[in-house]
This record gives sequence, C-alpha cells and structure tokens, in this order.
Amino acid sequence: MSAGFVVPEVDRDSAPWWEAVRRHELTVQRCGGCGTLRFPARAVCNRCRSRSWEWTPVSGRARVYSWVVNHQVFMRSMAERVPFPVLLVRLDEGDDLLMYGNLVEGDVAELRVGLPVEAVFVDDGDQTLVNWRPRR
Amino acid sequence: MGFRDRAALVGVGYTEFSKDSGVSTLTLAVDAILAALDDAGLGVDDVDALATHRVGDSTPPWVVAPALGVPEVSWYLDQFGGGSVSHSVIGQAAMAVASGVAETVVCYRAINARSEFRMGGTGRGPAPIFDVQYQAPYGYFAPPQQFAMFARAHMNEYGTTHEQFGAVAVQQRANAVKNARALKRDPITLDDYLASRWIAEPLRLLDCCLETDGACAVVVTSRERARDLRHTPVLVSGAAWGGGDSFFSGTGTDFTVTEAARIAPRLYAMAGVGPEDVDVAEIYDCFTYSVVVQLEDYGFCGKGEGGPYVESGATALDGSLPVNTHGGFLSEGYVHGINHVAEAVAQLRGTAGDRQVPGAEVALSTAQPGYVLAGTSALILRSDA
Repeated sequence: MSAGFVVPEVDRDSAPWWEAVRRHELTVQRCGGCGTLRFPARAVCNRCRSRSWEWTPVSGRARVYSWVVNHQVFMRSMAERVPFPVLLVRLDEGDDLLMYGNLVEGDVAELRVGLPVEAVFVDDGDQTLVNWRPRR
Repeated sequence: MGFRDRAALVGVGYTEFSKDSGVSTLTLAVDAILAALDDAGLGVDDVDALATHRVGDSTPPWVVAPALGVPEVSWYLDQFGGGSVSHSVIGQAAMAVASGVAETVVCYRAINARSEFRMGGTGRGPAPIFDVQYQAPYGYFAPPQQFAMFARAHMNEYGTTHEQFGAVAVQQRANAVKNARALKRDPITLDDYLASRWIAEPLRLLDCCLETDGACAVVVTSRERARDLRHTPVLVSGAAWGGGDSFFSGTGTDFTVTEAARIAPRLYAMAGVGPEDVDVAEIYDCFTYSVVVQLEDYGFCGKGEGGPYVESGATALDGSLPVNTHGGFLSEGYVHGINHVAEAVAQLRGTAGDRQVPGAEVALSTAQPGYVLAGTSALILRSDA
C-alpha cells in the first residue's frame, strides 16, 4: 500500500464522503425530511426514515471529547509511530456528530475535554485523512 | 414473567487454558462439551441442540454436532458477535428449552485467542465492521484502544482514577490465587499495577484481559429434567439482551453510560429481583474499566461512583458484592464470556472451594457492555436448592 496507514474500506454509503475528504472538504449528511445532520454516511434517516438527503459542508470546528495515547504496536505499520494520540471529537454542529483522528500541530499535554480543534486534511499518496489541530 | 426459572444450567466443562492449545477450535469445543455433559451426568445422546457465538474465529454448531455424533439436532444458534452477545447465547438456549423447541442445549465458546485469532489484531486485519473505516486509518481499532477512549471519558467526567482501575486488577488477581484453573496466580499489588507498561493510555497491561486459548461449555435443560440430575440446578431467572445505540448519530451522546443501563431494568424485572438481591457478580472484564462502568449501570452504586465503590473493597471476595470470584478474564483467562457463567454456576452450587461466597443464592453474569457493537446481554441466575 502506498499510504503509511490502513486504507479505509469505503462502502457504498460512505464513498462520497471519502471523495469529499480527498478534495479537502468536510461534510455530513443533512436529512431532507427532518433536517437532522448525520454522520457516518447511510441512506436512511434514523429519526424520520426519510431517504432524501444532501451532503452539507460543516465548519471543521470541533471539541475534544476523549483521547487515547497508543503505545502497543497492534499492526506492523504502526511500529514507527508509537506512541501516538487518537482523538474523538464532537463537531460544533452537533453532539452526536463524532469523528476520530490523530492530533497534529499540538501536544498531548494540552489535551483536555472541550479543547477546541479544527480539521486538517493530510494527504498521503492517493489517500487523504482528516486530522485535528488545536485552535489557537 | 417470560421464561423465568423455566430452564436450568446443569453442567459446566472446561478445557485447559493456555497460550497455545496446539489443537483446533473444533477439538476444544468437543472437549469442553464432553466435560460439561460428564459434569451434568448426561451423554451425547441426550443433546438435541447446540449454541455458540463467534467472530469468524471458531467452529460452528453444524460442524461440532456431527463431530460429537449428536443423533439429531432440533435447534442450533450460530450467533455472530463478540463478548457483547456472549450471554444472549445462554438466554436464547433457555428460551428454546422453555418453548419446547429443544430439550438439552450445549452452549460453548471455543477460541484460540492467543495462538490463532488475536482480538488485538496481531496477525490479522481489522474486523469488517462499517465503523472501522473511520477509525483504523488513525491506528485505532483494537479493543484496548476502544475501552481506553471511554475509560478516559469516565475519568474526565467523574474523576475516576488509575488507582481505582488498579483496584479491580488487584482484587481479581487475589481471587485467581484461589483458582487452580487461572492462568495468572501470582498476587499483585497496586504498585505492580501502576508499574505495568502502557498499552493505550489510560489503560496499562494489567488493565487488559489475557488472550487465551481454551473452551468452556454449559449445558442447559428444563427445570423438570434438571431435578433428576447430579447437581443442584442453577435456574435462568432473568435473561436480557439488546440495547441498540451506537456512537455515531445515535440517540445518546453520553458515552460514560453503556447499553447495560438500558437492559438492566428488563433483566431485573424478568427475574423479580434487584441489585440488592445479588450475592455474587461475574462482570465482563475485557478491561478493568468495563467492571467499573457496569457496577454503575447495573445499579450497584450511583453513576460515576464505580471507582470509589471498587476502591472501598466492596467488590473483593469478602466484600458486600464479590465480583469476578474466579479472577475474571484479567486473571483466570478469556473465553469470551462463558467462563463467567460457568463460575456463577459453581458459586450457586456452593462448589467454588476457597473462593466460595458463603450462601450465594443469586448471581449476575454480564457481557461486554456495548462499546463494540451496539448491544449487550446478561443473566440473573438462581440456585434451585
């Protein structure tokens, strides 16, 4: 694999989301029936069961909910990265809109609940991931 | 209510627990089932149903039945899933017996979790679950990482401490010292715990269960038939499974509460008991944190008080609610849920030896509380003495 990480196994619902990430656009779905924002991608709203939706850009602003600092090498491709933090953040657009990512341009020591962060797109070969950096 | 007290656990069987069984999961399953039938005083000819759970890592009932020479299978369950469904397998077997679909079910879990299929991913790729694409690229997919994330959230929210997680590990190891089957029998101190290396902060090596090769089986039959068998029957008084939420655009946004909080009212209602009636609890301990949070979600203490509750000694063998009396997955071994049920049976029979909780009549045994896959399962078991 060209990327230095596990390449995401994109599914039929998520393909457009990953394509947007590749263009450095952060999006979620907005339900055409009730307006609820949802992530990750799927075709049917779990509030109103509508099948109508559109991709809508979000601000890329989020707050840290929790994090780990990984030390164990669970895969060989991780060996040169440990230790590394993984963040779980809530998007400013909704408490139930959660995304994972690595910390960039920041230090583990400054992590705390509610720390404001923003999305950073990181290209690696033909893959792009969303990571998070503290908002200054 | 429901199928309360209509089915009984009448036999338990184990293989040796090890780091390398050297045999197939089929052999492990057959050995544990034969041991459980022997314990019950039954034979293969008495079996008409089999049930298991697996994640693509074990041998299904429709292979095990002919390998045992079961004359005719009237019902089987090949449940997909990890620890969260472990107790629903027994619950569904009890339901099959209560409905008359099956008479005698062997429930088993056979797993080479150290030498073949390691849950942490070593030697295999991430599981094909849809969440994984949003996690694995960041180096996040192994169970210790997932539980560390929510352990951290609990620490942040309620001030839960490393020392409180350590108390779980130390207490359970003390129980394992009294259990000849346990893989880890050297006592540990809180200092040993705090000195153990990080796996995924805030979890250390001694927060994690033991990747284990082994199998365990439990025989389920009707209460009537159980009365004629060798041991004091252990009744399935309550069984509940489900939940339904997940981390992604679900209905909940507080991830310090698990699916156990959803099923607990149904579980207790079916059994007609409350947490105050439970004499001994075998609580799914893939990691120390899962014990802390379930003590809260099953109602043994208030929300956020799980850490202080453990630290008070309440969950030690001589405490008010002995927990994981066999040492749990942290110290006995990890057979993906079913060895908790087997230990509860020993406690309710009164045959747990040095680690027996005096006069134990009601036990709770629980599954992984729903942090991986959106559900959990649990049993209330009662002695039919």
